[in-house]
Amino acid sequence: MAAEKTLKLEKNSLHQDNLLRIENLTKIYDGSVKAVDDVSLTVAKGEIFGLLGSSGCGKSTLLRMLAGFEVPTNGKIFLAGEDITNLPPYQRPINMMFQSYALFPHLSVWDNIAFGLRRDGMAKEKIMERVESLLKLVQLGKFAKRKPHQLSGGQQQRVALARSLAKQPKLLLLDEPLGALDKKLRESTQLELVNIIEEVGVTCVLVTHDQEEAMTISSRIAVMSEGSFLQVGTPDEIYETPNSRLIADFIGNVNIFEGVVDEDLPDHVTVKCPECTHYVGHGITGSSGMSVGVAVRPEKILLSKTKPKGKYNWCEGEVTDIAYFGAHTTYHLKLMTGMILKVQQQNRTRNLEGGFTWGDRAFAQWDDLAMIVLTH
Amino acid sequence: MMIEKMHSFLKPYLTGRQFVISVPFLWLFLLTAAPIFIVLRISLSEMDIASVANLWTWAENTLTLKINLSKYLFILHDELYVKTFISSIGYALENTFFCLILGYPFAYFMARAKTHLRPMLLMLVMLPFWTSFLLRIYAWKTLLEDNGVINNFLIWSGLIHQPIQIMHTQFSLMIGMVYAYLPFMILPLYSNLVKMDTRLLEAAADLGTSPWKTFWLMTVPLSKQGIIAGSMLVFIPTVGEYVIPELLGGPQTLNIGRVLWDEFFSNNDWSMASAVAIVMVLLILLPMAIFNKYQSKSYEGITS
Amino acid sequence: MTNTFGRSWMIAVYLFLYIPIITLVVFSFNGSPLVTVWSEFTLKWYGKLAQDREIIAGVILSLKLAFLSGMLSVLFGTFTAFALVRYRFRGHTLLSSMANMPLVMPDVLVGLSLLLMLVSLQRWLGYPERGLLTILLGHAFLGTAYAAVVVVSRLREMDSKLEEAAMDLGCKPFQVFTLVTFPLIVPALVSAFLLTFTLSFDDVVLSAFLSGPGSTTLPLVIFSRARLGLSPSINAVAAVTIAVVSIAVIVSSIYQSRAEKQRMREIAQAYNDGNQ
Repeated sequence: MAAEKTLKLEKNSLHQDNLLRIENLTKIYDGSVKAVDDVSLTVAKGEIFGLLGSSGCGKSTLLRMLAGFEVPTNGKIFLAGEDITNLPPYQRPINMMFQSYALFPHLSVWDNIAFGLRRDGMAKEKIMERVESLLKLVQLGKFAKRKPHQLSGGQQQRVALARSLAKQPKLLLLDEPLGALDKKLRESTQLELVNIIEEVGVTCVLVTHDQEEAMTISSRIAVMSEGSFLQVGTPDEIYETPNSRLIADFIGNVNIFEGVVDEDLPDHVTVKCPECTHYVGHGITGSSGMSVGVAVRPEKILLSKTKPKGKYNWCEGEVTDIAYFGAHTTYHLKLMTGMILKVQQQNRTRNLEGGFTWGDRAFAQWDDLAMIVLTH
Repeated sequence: MMIEKMHSFLKPYLTGRQFVISVPFLWLFLLTAAPIFIVLRISLSEMDIASVANLWTWAENTLTLKINLSKYLFILHDELYVKTFISSIGYALENTFFCLILGYPFAYFMARAKTHLRPMLLMLVMLPFWTSFLLRIYAWKTLLEDNGVINNFLIWSGLIHQPIQIMHTQFSLMIGMVYAYLPFMILPLYSNLVKMDTRLLEAAADLGTSPWKTFWLMTVPLSKQGIIAGSMLVFIPTVGEYVIPELLGGPQTLNIGRVLWDEFFSNNDWSMASAVAIVMVLLILLPMAIFNKYQSKSYEGITS
Repeated sequence: MTNTFGRSWMIAVYLFLYIPIITLVVFSFNGSPLVTVWSEFTLKWYGKLAQDREIIAGVILSLKLAFLSGMLSVLFGTFTAFALVRYRFRGHTLLSSMANMPLVMPDVLVGLSLLLMLVSLQRWLGYPERGLLTILLGHAFLGTAYAAVVVVSRLREMDSKLEEAAMDLGCKPFQVFTLVTFPLIVPALVSAFLLTFTLSFDDVVLSAFLSGPGSTTLPLVIFSRARLGLSPSINAVAAVTIAVVSIAVIVSSIYQSRAEKQRMREIAQAYNDGNQ
């Protein structure tokens, strides 16, 4: 009943901007394995929507259902208001940029890009025009006659992008678009990819296991696990206000203190933990006496040698591990209870003088608004 | 294209998928399973001069099933037939053994040869395989005859004064068999050994295993698949080999392939030939199943 | 295991493989009618070969047969490979067993069972007569299995994403095959054709069972002569066959390795360009 109601509500509030709508999509393999489990989602026109999750979480299956390579066991897919659930891939106005590109090895760059246009029976001159403009867009004009194996990884990636954009799809699917590139090339390519997508203005659904990639490229992200969405939101929402321990732990690094809500007031709460007492500068949906987790990101913690003032939001420990990353250093602080607190410090000066070394006593402190209280 | 026309004609009845599956299915069924049933049927029927009596008749509301087991009983009770079957299996085992002994080290060294040499080495193994099998067997005849190349050479060199009999012996038969089937052993072994992760061997060496032990404890067990495939590819066809025993074997060489051939072509006894064939099928059923299991692994699909 | 041991083992095996072939060729130039007793160099057996009607007819028939059988084998072998690699269905195991059987089944078994089936079919339908067509069926059947093995391994190493990409860009299933899959498996189809051509050109046992009057293939001619004893004409035939096959194999492998090297160079070049 409840599901029906929300469905109706959604239909009423459906406006022009919703390009893609997925309703209760489910995919079951071999009768029992739920790869995708009752997933619903809307993606607005022009959005770059990221599906983030580790391998086997169902994100690829979801993408393949959107492309039409897998038939959903249940549920519907609407594109621009039209039900495309049962359309075969070759009839969908959706194109995909494949993982490791899947460029046709027997065709030149030019023919790869023209491939989809030719299937549509477009006039020769039109195809010429379109391919030329795409080659220009991805800056591969002088490579038009080459075969894919005669291109570098980054160039192949651009051909794949051009090929998937050629038919001006309503929706572009990106399957691990940067996965096949080495780390250094990835950053520049990432920027370029976003620029091209924004220039074209195509709506995208992107699949990746790399959270950094998902965060930088996407305007919204769904974190997937075991076939369902754990949380859907903008990158900063997901990072700063995760709705569960799972998300907080999955995205970035986090320290979680286990405790009990002590004071519960509209403007602040205090949480008592064995390590320290937290003063949280905002209200929460909970009540005093409730067991909660208090999550603090390592970069939001300040390490000092002097004991902080006040009785909240600090604790003392011994430095047991130091990992130097160049731009920052991560310290492991062993607290009295045995809990290991991860603390990240910017390396503001070149020499690490005044820093900490193994065995040092140190105080960790953080701000009233640095924490997230996790009730799940 | 022709296929498309064929399919568009069938379209109302078959999906593309069903079409792609049913074409090879029908073709192979018609040429494997069906013939075996017919052979079975003929082996159980009485033979008139040139026609096969019906296995069952329907008359006066009675179904009469006439199964004639006489051929099988004859095979089981005739010492010569039993001996033939046993010796055929024996030859096949010997052949497999020699091919393995000769082929395994060969495949091993080939797989460990320098990368740029491997294609040439492989081509040199394949080349005889591409030239006529029959001619290669015939070549041994010219070598092994009483006045053949080997005897002539030995007499010329003064080592012997009388030609020694090599031809029409077990030895000439075995040489021909090993010669013909060696590539079938080498190829699967090579393709298995060349894919082997040499880091495993290095790890074993690193942990203090001697090369000889590494070979027995790592290389050989890891190449089990190749050994099985190669052995089956040699063993099964040699059980029923006909051409080699006919050209190189002696009159005393007992071999099922020749017996079947003679029953069919000389005695014109189709039921007997069929019964011999069925017994042969039974003998190779288990090795066939093993081979099938191995081969099916390489057939398992990528897509669901 | 030392290097020298390995090398000598390999040389010994190669000698074992090649001495008979070389002898065969050498003695085809022997002037003496006693095949194995060398007298003088001559080309007369080749001259005689050119006039040997039986052999020439056999060669023509065998070439025709091998060509047709190669084509049919590749066609059915490709179907078989596709069904096995691309689909899962009930009877997958049965199909793969049926496709494996001819690879190892003794020739006499295949020959006898096919013959008996065709004879039954003929009694029932009045067709086909024993002859070229029945041999062709037998060879194509045997060839299907071999062609399937070659095509299967090519299909398996081919990225199935390429086919999905084609579909994604608007190809209907059959177009996917003609525009993407087919061009990519052509090399495998060519080698499957050559393999099945050779199998058919070589076959004795199946042909003996399935042939009728007027369908004496080259191997049948050779076999009947070889049974009677040594004959210089067979040496000449052998030398010609070996020459043709060797040239074809060597040329094609040189061509292949050149193409492969060229490809490697281009990949390295592209990689360097991309990093500049």
